[in-house]
Amino acid sequence: MEITKKDVELAAKLAKMRVSEEEVSIYQEQLEALFKWVAELAAVNTDAVKLTNVNHCAHMRPDVASSNLAQAAELRGAFDEEQDQCAKVKKVL
Amino acid sequence: MMTALEIAKAVTSGAKTAEQITRESLDIIAQKNPAVNAFVEVFEKDALARAKEVDAKRTRGEKLGALAGVPVAIKDNILYKGHKATCCSKMLENYVASYTSTVVERLLAQDAIIIGRTNMDEFAMGSTNQTSVYGAVKNPVNLECVPGGSSGGSAAAVAAGMVPVALGTDTGGSVRQPAGFCGIVGIKPGYGRISRYGVISFSSSADQVGILASTVADAAEVLEVISGKDVHDSTSLEAPVPAYNAQFTDGLKGMRVGLPKGFLDGLGRDIKDKITQAAERLKELGAELVEVELPLAKYAAPCYYIITSAEASSNLGRYDGIRYGYADNSAKDLNGYYEGSRAPFGLEVKKRLIIGTYALTSERYEECFLKAMKVRELIREDFKKAFEQVDVLLTPTSPTTAFKLGQHDEDPLALYLADLYTCQGNIGGLAGISVPFGNDEKGLPVGIQFYGPILEEEKILNAAYNLEKGL
Repeated sequence: MEITKKDVELAAKLAKMRVSEEEVSIYQEQLEALFKWVAELAAVNTDAVKLTNVNHCAHMRPDVASSNLAQAAELRGAFDEEQDQCAKVKKVL
Repeated sequence: MMTALEIAKAVTSGAKTAEQITRESLDIIAQKNPAVNAFVEVFEKDALARAKEVDAKRTRGEKLGALAGVPVAIKDNILYKGHKATCCSKMLENYVASYTSTVVERLLAQDAIIIGRTNMDEFAMGSTNQTSVYGAVKNPVNLECVPGGSSGGSAAAVAAGMVPVALGTDTGGSVRQPAGFCGIVGIKPGYGRISRYGVISFSSSADQVGILASTVADAAEVLEVISGKDVHDSTSLEAPVPAYNAQFTDGLKGMRVGLPKGFLDGLGRDIKDKITQAAERLKELGAELVEVELPLAKYAAPCYYIITSAEASSNLGRYDGIRYGYADNSAKDLNGYYEGSRAPFGLEVKKRLIIGTYALTSERYEECFLKAMKVRELIREDFKKAFEQVDVLLTPTSPTTAFKLGQHDEDPLALYLADLYTCQGNIGGLAGISVPFGNDEKGLPVGIQFYGPILEEEKILNAAYNLEKGL
């Protein structure tokens, strides 16, 4: 499986990450080696395989309302500035 | 340092106080951590206050928990309310947990003392503990060597005698491989045995909390405490938790131990010899050795790197400067804001996010991600069939013993192969344990791994317990 520098740049863009030219070169080489390995999976016949979840169990909990995290505690983890239970965020655009 | 079981017994009987034990642990950390770099933060004040509470509880005549006064270290991706949890990344350098993970809640409920947070590979991506923003961890057995990863700090803390037990997380071997490299016990139970609530996600279908301990009995005790259904984690399993330490037998009569065909091909003589010796020892203990076929297990590693990276690319999408993490407030537009805010990710994390994102692109989805998911199903079937013939499987923990810091920096594929035997457990959702079994010619510890089916951790614990006893 050939991986080009353009592939790396596209994936980085989709992942919303800036990568330098040097990083692109390093990643391209490393991804090429990794995906060559991944290409070996093609040898396995998976035509009849159906996907299930990892521990083969359905997990549903009863639909009962329960207490949630305290608002202040949540905001403390998310923002630097708090004011009257609101968080002042910086203008992005 | 005493074992966790010895400490709990001493504190419960009054032979020692929790405060004495905590101070002892803090002293050893102060003495050894500068060289090993296992802890990134020690909760000294908190731990001592907590120890005094446990002692006061005893003075009042109240019943103490199963881990009374036991100092426990937690990996830096496990939440403990009011304490930092940074995943050893600049991205989360100021993140303070707003709630406590279920595993820590359960430890506290049994009167354990949370002593600090341990170093790890950034976002648990790595097998050397060299990608941490806090610097590399050194292997206490040989300070020139890596301790393994990603729970390298937790393993080194136990191996250096700073704490008797520590929690880690294991997505591809991150508890068992460092346990093997540092000469201690590391268990990752089957997927769903332990709640992941409050554990920072890397790959949701592979992540599991695991335990690093100096003895199998300590690992069993902590496993019993933290296992079981949790309403906050829908993937945790509803099943009774056995008293694991009560399940140990004297010898292994009647146990069928599977030796996967071809698993030792290409291994160095040291590891091969140790596996052969371990198999002989198990036979002496009464176990029956059975050769089993696992033809697709060799594909576990490429499946692992595709699936976990794809899941990581989704899970780590939340670090965008808006929802979580570092924010680049110098950006001029939205894309610039996102890209600038995600700049603190280290090289390995960025690489995995690129791998995962690429595997999920419409051009590669079927060929890479879907294919890996389907092969994963077949690998799980392989293991299921093997466990119809045997109780546990015996494998090496890693293809090599601990290597020098920086040795494989230029060859990441060689590093990825370090997870060869352990990532099968995460792909299969299996229970796995690494137990030390002597040293190689260089004096470095060799880990032996047992696999068992989900919810049958008592079998691998018993096999490991018997093997450990004979050493």
